[in-house]
This record gives sequence, C-alpha cells and structure tokens, in this order.
Amino acid sequence: MEEKVGELWHRMITRMADTRYPEAAVHLEEIELTVGIMFRALGGDGGLEVLAANATEHGARRGLLQRIAGSSKRIELAWRDAQSLRLPVSIDYFPERRLNHYLYTWLAALAVGDHQQEEAWLGKNQRLTLKTLHDYPGIGKRYRLLVDAHLAERMPPEKLPTAEAAQEQAIRQALLHPGSVDRLPAAKRPPQPVPLWLHPFPPIAAPSSGGAGDQEGERGGGETKDIEDMQRHKSERAKKPEKEDQGLITIRMENIFTWGEFMNMDRGSEDNDDLESAAEALKDMDNLSVSRDAKASAGKLRFDLDLPSEANDDRVLGEGILLPEWDFKKQKLIPKHCRIVPMMAADAQPRELPERLRGTAKKLRAQFQHLTPARIWHRGQQDGCEIDLDAYLRYASDRAAGHTSASDGLYRDLRVGARDLACLLLADLSLSTDTWVNNHARVIDVIRDSLFLFAESLAATGDRFAMYGFSSRKRDPVRVHQLKSFDEHYSASVRGRIDAIKPGYYTRMGAAIRHSSELLKAQPAGRRLLLILTDGKPNDLDKYEGRYGIEDTRRAIHEARQLGLQPFCVTIDAQANDYLPHLFGTGSYVVIHKPSQLPRELPLLYAKLTA
Amino acid sequence: MSNAPQTAPRTAEPTVALDTPFYKPQGNEVELFEHAYKHQLPMLIKGPTGCGKTRFINYMAARLGRPVYTVACHDDLTAADLVGRHLIGDSGTYWSDGPLTRAVREGAICYLDEVVEARKDTTVVLHPLTDDRRILPIERTGEILHAPPEFMLVVSYNPGYQNLLKGMKPSTRQRFVAARFDFPSAELEQEVIIGETGIDAMMAKRLVNLANSLRALKDHDLEEAASTRLLVYTATLILGGYAPLEACRAAMVEPLTDDVETTRALMEVVDIAFGN
Repeated sequence: MEEKVGELWHRMITRMADTRYPEAAVHLEEIELTVGIMFRALGGDGGLEVLAANATEHGARRGLLQRIAGSSKRIELAWRDAQSLRLPVSIDYFPERRLNHYLYTWLAALAVGDHQQEEAWLGKNQRLTLKTLHDYPGIGKRYRLLVDAHLAERMPPEKLPTAEAAQEQAIRQALLHPGSVDRLPAAKRPPQPVPLWLHPFPPIAAPSSGGAGDQEGERGGGETKDIEDMQRHKSERAKKPEKEDQGLITIRMENIFTWGEFMNMDRGSEDNDDLESAAEALKDMDNLSVSRDAKASAGKLRFDLDLPSEANDDRVLGEGILLPEWDFKKQKLIPKHCRIVPMMAADAQPRELPERLRGTAKKLRAQFQHLTPARIWHRGQQDGCEIDLDAYLRYASDRAAGHTSASDGLYRDLRVGARDLACLLLADLSLSTDTWVNNHARVIDVIRDSLFLFAESLAATGDRFAMYGFSSRKRDPVRVHQLKSFDEHYSASVRGRIDAIKPGYYTRMGAAIRHSSELLKAQPAGRRLLLILTDGKPNDLDKYEGRYGIEDTRRAIHEARQLGLQPFCVTIDAQANDYLPHLFGTGSYVVIHKPSQLPRELPLLYAKLTA
Repeated sequence: MSNAPQTAPRTAEPTVALDTPFYKPQGNEVELFEHAYKHQLPMLIKGPTGCGKTRFINYMAARLGRPVYTVACHDDLTAADLVGRHLIGDSGTYWSDGPLTRAVREGAICYLDEVVEARKDTTVVLHPLTDDRRILPIERTGEILHAPPEFMLVVSYNPGYQNLLKGMKPSTRQRFVAARFDFPSAELEQEVIIGETGIDAMMAKRLVNLANSLRALKDHDLEEAASTRLLVYTATLILGGYAPLEACRAAMVEPLTDDVETTRALMEVVDIAFGN
C-alpha cells in the first residue's frame, strides 16, 4: 500500500513538475538521416556519424515542483567530437512538434561550424549562431521562432536571486541579439541550460580508449596488449579502474587452483525480465561503459552437439526429402535412408556487402563482366530492329533477275548471346569449419567471404546460380540451408543469409550432393556445374566415416555425372590429396593450400571452369 | 511484311551556330582548344555531367567558324553509324556518309559526346584519324579520306558515373590532348547563371551556395553532384515566376535522388539555405 501511494505521488508530482511536452516529441531515430544529410550539406565532415548524446547534470536552479519531484536534474545537449555529431535522443522542449524538429536542424547546422577549439561557452555559441544565420539566410526565421518559444519556457529573471538574474539577462540578450554579450556575469550556480546552444563542456571521449582501440582489439592484435586498452569507455573522462588487486577475495589469487580457465559463455536469455526497469536504470546512469575485448579464451568448452530447440532454430522449409545412401559393404543403395531438411536462416537481416570485401568484389565484377557474352547481331531474322542489308540485296537482285524468292529473313536484330550455364554451389558448414585458419579468421569466415565474392562475381555474369550450405547429424536430419535458390535474385536478403551462416554439425556429404544434384538437374541449362566447397572428409557420428563416407560420396558424385552434371570440388584440407582423386576423379578437384586465399580464388576458378 | 526500308535514309546534319553561344571560360581551355585546333591535335574533354562540356564545344566551333557534327554515343553505336552505310534506293544501293565521314570531308569539328558509352571496338575506327596520318579509310567503298587541316575530332566523357568496365581503352585515350572540366568557382558560376538566364545577382548567389551545399553530399548521400545545368533550370523556373522553393524541388532535389527520405532532407537544406 505504502509503495503504491508513493508511486502515485511520484507520478503526479513528476507530471506537474514536467516542463516538457512528450506528446510533441521528435526522436532522433526518425530524423537521424535528415540531420545527417543536412549536417554534411552545410559543410560538416562526411566521416562523422550521428549519435545520441547522453544526459548531463546541469546543476542550475530548478523550480520548486521540480525539486520536490526530483526531476529535470539533467539535460541532453548537443556537441560534436572528432568521431561523431551528438544530438539528444529526443527533443520535447516545445509544445509544437514543428519547433522540436527545427531545434534538431538548428543544432546540426550550429555544430557544422564547431571546430572544437577551446573557447568560452557564451562567446562560442554566439559566434556560431551569427555564422549560421549569415551563411544560411533561410534559417533565420526558424531561429527567431525557436528563441521566442524558448524564452517563454525559461525561468524569468524576476524569480531568481540577483546574481543569477543578471546571468539570465545576459543569456537572454545573447539569444535575442547574438554577438552582443561579451561575458557571463558570475553567479554561484551555473546558468539555466540553453538547449539551442552546444554543450558547454562536451564529454569528449579520449581517442585512445575510443573506437580505434576497440577495433584493434577486434582484429586480434590485442594479445600482447594490456587488457585495459581493449575496453571501451564511452563518454568517460575518469581514470580507468586498475585491474590488479581487484575483487573482495582476501586470499592470494595464485592459491586458488580449482579455477581453471576463463570461459566465454553465451547466455541465451536475459537475466533481468523487467526490461523497463533496466531501461530506467540505464537512464539514471551517468556513464555507461560497455567493454568488449576480443581476446579469444585460451580454452573452449564444447557443450554438446544437440540440435537447438525449435524456437531457437532456423526456419524449416518443407517436410523433408528422403534420399538413398550407398552402402559399400553391401554394394547396394539403401533407399530412403537419409532425410534432407531444407532450411533457411530465421533471423538473417538484409545487408550490404561487408566493407572489407568491396574492393575485391569490384575488381572481380569487372573481370566477370567480360565473361558476359557481348550482344551480337543475329542476321537473317524474320523480324528485327534493322534491315539485314545483305539479305535484302540478295532478295532485291534475285527479284530483279526474275527469280522469285521468299521475302523472309530480311532483318537483323541485336541480342544477347546466350551463356547456357547453371551453377550450384554447395558449402560445407560442418563443425570443423569452426577452427581457426589464422589469427584473424575461422574456416567459416573464409567460407562466408568466399560465398560473398562468388555471388558478387556470378551476379555480374548473369549466369544462373544457387547456393546452399549443409551439415548433418546422422542420417536424419541432413540440414541443407538455402542461401540462394536458382529463382532468387542476388539481393540484400541473400547477403543477409550468407552472413548468417554458422558452423553446424557433421558432414554427410553424399546426401547433400544427391539433393543438390536433384535441384541442379531441374535447371534447363546446357551446362550444369556442381561446385562443392569443403574443408575435409565426409564424416558423421554413425558409421558414416572413413571408407563408408568416402564411398557414399563417390557414388553420389558418380550419380551426378550420370545426370549430366559437372561436379567439381574445392577443398581447403591440406592433407586431402590421398582421397580426393578417388572421390572426384583427377581434374575435378582443387586443393587450396592457403585458406585465406579462397575468397579470391573461388570466383577465378569458376571463370576458368566455365570459360 | 514490307520489303522497303522502314526508315528514311539517315543523313547527318551539322549544327552551325548563328551567333556565338554564351560561355564563361573556367581556365585556359579556350587557349588550349585553339592550339590543338591549329596543330591538328584531337582533343578529349572530361568532366561531370552538366558542367558545360557540350556548350564549350559549340562555343569554340562558333569562335573558329566551323560546323559541328555531334554524335551522342550509346552502346549500340556501330562503326557504320560513324563512318556511313549502304542504303537502298530506287535503282540499287548507294553509299551514305556517316557524321564522322562528313566532318572529315567538310573539314568540320566532329564531337563524340559520352564516348565511353560506345563499345570499345567502335572507337577503334578513330585510331587512324587521331595520329599523324589523319586518314579515314572507308572499308566498304575502298575510299581513303585525308582529313583537311580544319577537321578536328573532339570526344568527351564523364569519368564519374560509368562503371569500371566502361573506361576508355588506354590506346584510344593516349591519342588525345586532354582537359578536365569541373564545376566553376562560386563567383564564376553566379556569372554563368546570370549570363544564361538573366536572374538577379542575389538569387544567383543563393542558388550557387545551395548547389555547393548539395555537392558536398556527393558519394555520401548522392550519386552525382548538382550540375550547373540544374542551376540554370532552377533559375529559369524562378525567373518565370515559379515559387523559389518549389523550383528548387522540381529542378534540383527531385532530379538528384529517388529516395524519399533523402528528398525530404534535401528540401530541409533548401529551406535553410534558401528559405524566405
């Protein structure tokens, strides 16, 4: 009961004390793009991103109600630092939505001229205001509207003690006639905040602990670095906590022998169910420090390879397809032995090509566009955009000579020569792809990059292609992830699915190849290429390993050939030489010795194969 | 189906300027062009769209008193479109000169606009014309034309927007004297707009400021920078009595982007830079 009354009181008094207008609020997220474009158009640095500013305590006098309510202590002000333009998360100072919107654009325009030199707050903001008003005559009307509205909201000087009243007068003067006030009269308390101006003491992040250091950590270069360097302190000038001698354990740390190694664990669920209260707590925090260190844990614990629950798993497409498997001991096909489950990534967001691949992709696209057949003139057509002069001459001279000849095929037409080709790429997404190839990337990362570049290149040729990934857990299910089907266009959502690939279970290659062959067989192209991208031998939990797996895969490849497909295997398994010729036949496979080269090699290989 | 040719024989007509078009030099390009003309060197002009390349050629042609044959290149342009073709007449076929051949015969300026749009094999016919031989062999009739001293070949392209593939063949590019055009400086651009439309100086200044604001967005938010041509369009609309903000929307913002969000943001910029 007590609690309830307290809550009611709090709500009531907060509402009464509130001088904001939440119903007219404009939020940064809805206006982010506009302000960003404006900021750049008015001459702001194109490399800055627009971010939300966190609230700072202003320390100025508050109204009685506000003091009772304990609200309005902090305010969000705009500033600009070396990496970003910081704007309030939402603006609701004015009852009119239009004015709140204007304030955003005003702040962005004001920040353009800020070059972060040390300069007194009052003078600097007046200077910036003058400059903005001068450079952009159209903004003057907005500024006057904003000033009028803001002055009405400010605490009147009559209500303030003398020193603070003088200060308030000076600010009002500076707002109304920018450039006319030289200095701020001294007072005990800081003046009322001015949302129309930039932050008086922008909490500029120290560059060493900002984004750059963090990225270095991500690249894995942080192994020899002190752990402190890899932590990110957002908007914090305070000294970073010392790492040594931390914790309440009074015994010497080295005496604890049972604590083996630090484990990186992924928590699937949120600790705090009450998200709202968490959000509240977040708002009240002065500084929010997020740390992310990319140091790989020395040891990893594999929990199990059980399938995820249905809710957490990717979307299943269709019922599942039963396929046979070859038992080499019995020398016969066991019908309906494996079940293929076609799947699609559930939470893949459409995305652009990763920045680091763009350069390579551009080069590859240029190379691959040469593979596109040029448009050529088809002569002697029934209909076409131009007359086939040769055919017409022949016809005319025949007629003049008294012969009668058919008057058809007198036109020529410019058409694209066909490149009669379809390609299906089948990528191995088994658990073994989780291993690291070097300090920077795992096999799966290499495969992901390869898929991106492969798709970029093939999209440039206009060839029909599809991409699937597979991993299995015994004979049921063999999970086949659809990354791009033949009928889809290569788009942002396909890129999203490529981005979402992750190491799965085991490698039941035969079933996956049989399934892919079925898909590829349905393609009407004259040449059909089945590209298999793998990092090792076929294997699975049951008997599907060693000879059994190899024989089944070999059989599946053989079947694909009989269907008129052209299978080709690209492997990054350095010890693969002994079984590969047996599996695929000489000349139908290639071993990439340096996995990091795969992304570049794969498209070129395709070009060679199809040239 | 008709057996007669469906299109009338195409004959290239030169454009001869009656009076010299308006042109404000940005640098020494007029001098360079005159030198190239005097020494019979072909010229290559590169620059963004709407910065005055075509106008420059027409201006120079008028200045030098030569007719211009302009060919807008596209990827279906064949060598025959430049050199000429056989056509069918009442009593058989006859040869019809293409614009390039005509320009060579008459000693005119032949201007190939957006030359990179043409397929690379097409532009190879230019090679014998652009070195010291200055000849145009017409394969189909066996004729070899020698270019008179008045003949000049000028090509232009926009190095910005075409994709990587459509660069110019280096062996072709090497045969030209080249000049790079860019948008003029603010003062010059104001003069251009005033000279072109007759708008008042205050408005011209605002328009140029706005254009420079929008140019800062190139590559980040916009694919192409706002051109001088768009400014002239806008000024023309405003001068015709169209409301300035709406003129900016119609002639500067909408032609630059299709994205609704970006349009909104650009209008905000227009409002601030231009407003009332």
